[in-house]
Amino acid sequence: MSAMVLRNSSYDEPGYFLAGVLAILIHVFFVAFMVFGLDWKTQPPEGMIVDLWSDLPQQAEPSPPIPQKMEPSKPTPTPTPRPIQAEPLPPRIKPSSPPPPTKPEIAREAETEKLKPVKEELPIQEVKKEREKEREKEKEREKEREKEKEKEREKEREKVEAERLQREQALQQKREQEALTQQREARQAAAQARMANEVDKYKAMILAKIRSRIIMPPDLPGNPTVEYRVTLLPGGDILEVSLRKSSGFAVFDSAVERAIFLSKPLPLPPDPALFSQFRNLSITVHYRE
Amino acid sequence: MNTTVTQDLSLLYLISSASLPVQLVMGLLLFISFISWWFIFRKLFVIRRAIKQCDEFEEIFWRGADLNTLYQRAANARHSTGSMERIFEAGFREFAKHQSDADISAVMDGTRRAMRATYQREMDKLESHLSFLATVGSVSPYIGLFGTVWGIMNSFRSLANVTQATISHVAPGIAEALIATAMGLFAAIPAVIAYNRYASDVDQLATRFESFMDELSNVLQRRAAE
Repeated sequence: MSAMVLRNSSYDEPGYFLAGVLAILIHVFFVAFMVFGLDWKTQPPEGMIVDLWSDLPQQAEPSPPIPQKMEPSKPTPTPTPRPIQAEPLPPRIKPSSPPPPTKPEIAREAETEKLKPVKEELPIQEVKKEREKEREKEKEREKEREKEKEKEREKEREKVEAERLQREQALQQKREQEALTQQREARQAAAQARMANEVDKYKAMILAKIRSRIIMPPDLPGNPTVEYRVTLLPGGDILEVSLRKSSGFAVFDSAVERAIFLSKPLPLPPDPALFSQFRNLSITVHYRE
Repeated sequence: MNTTVTQDLSLLYLISSASLPVQLVMGLLLFISFISWWFIFRKLFVIRRAIKQCDEFEEIFWRGADLNTLYQRAANARHSTGSMERIFEAGFREFAKHQSDADISAVMDGTRRAMRATYQREMDKLESHLSFLATVGSVSPYIGLFGTVWGIMNSFRSLANVTQATISHVAPGIAEALIATAMGLFAAIPAVIAYNRYASDVDQLATRFESFMDELSNVLQRRAAE
């Protein structure tokens, strides 16, 4: 017995610690999979933002090119008049420098142009000189004026061009938008048409199914017509059937009513959005087709 | 709005933000799961080795080896022998002790008793811890469910203070509570599978041992009658 006990206690189990290590490994793997393997974070839908702003960049883009066009054109007119302005100025000052006393007066003349020469009575030579100078000055002024006018004209031309560009772009945008709206409308119209088509198709199917179930009473005079109002449940079940307009023949009315109940799961379009069109059906059956 | 959209629902965050009872349940389940996986691997190794040793011994025995040499071999290598070899050793020792006795049936009874005693002991050893696996398999889903119910109760109680209830108020609480159920199932499913597998393996071994015992007693009886 003691030998047995000894043997039992010394019974070495295979992989005693290996099993523990394996168990730990399995748990580590599982936890790692749960933490890193699954995407637990919810991400906001970013695609929506891109769609919403698809129109605006087109409007924003055209405006930058206009200043870009203006900037290169501006420097061309401004540098040209400046050298011309700078050239005539030194000769004007040089002739005026020999007579020192007149210098301040000329300076004053520049400010008040026509009044001074009339009022001031000066020697003829000086007067002549002054007149020549004035003429020169006027010529220069005219030149300057012409330059300025040219500048203005150029500016106006640029303005006109820019406006024209803007107008064209606006027109283009309008046209694009119109095209887009037209497309959208066309699509909507097509969808509606499809839906209407579907609705008509299923209504015809419903009517055909009911017709096939009618056991027509024989030998009714004329072509009596009965109208029923059928309230449907989603799935095609019939909730309620009410007589709207009797045909005048109770046999025919009850035959049609029975047929409506017999054709119980009425065919409905698979699209649940269309069910609203089938909730209250008005079914008209003619005795003779 | 922004906080609910980009809410960080990582596993660690959910576990750390769970209430104390739920955390305790999770810890208990993790411990149970670890122990059950440990036993699963231990039993896997033990049962695999038992089947292998059984195969080997049966092959040697039925090849017609001398019973005395087999007994010598089994008695010398006590620590590395398999269950079937040990049953043989116990039976043959009892038989050899009383071989000279006149009453054969008394000798055979003693031999059978000795073999049955060893068989019971070996079966006990093979079946040890299997009941634990069965318990884990049946109980740990309930423990996980308890944690989940507790967590959902709490998350709904906190909802009572809010005037306008939205799903984002309850969702994190329910998510963290459901982790407890997931852990319970993670502990239970392997335990149940392993239990069923090992129980059938041990059953097969038991039938093999029993048939071997019957065959051996026949062999010994013939030998005594000679």
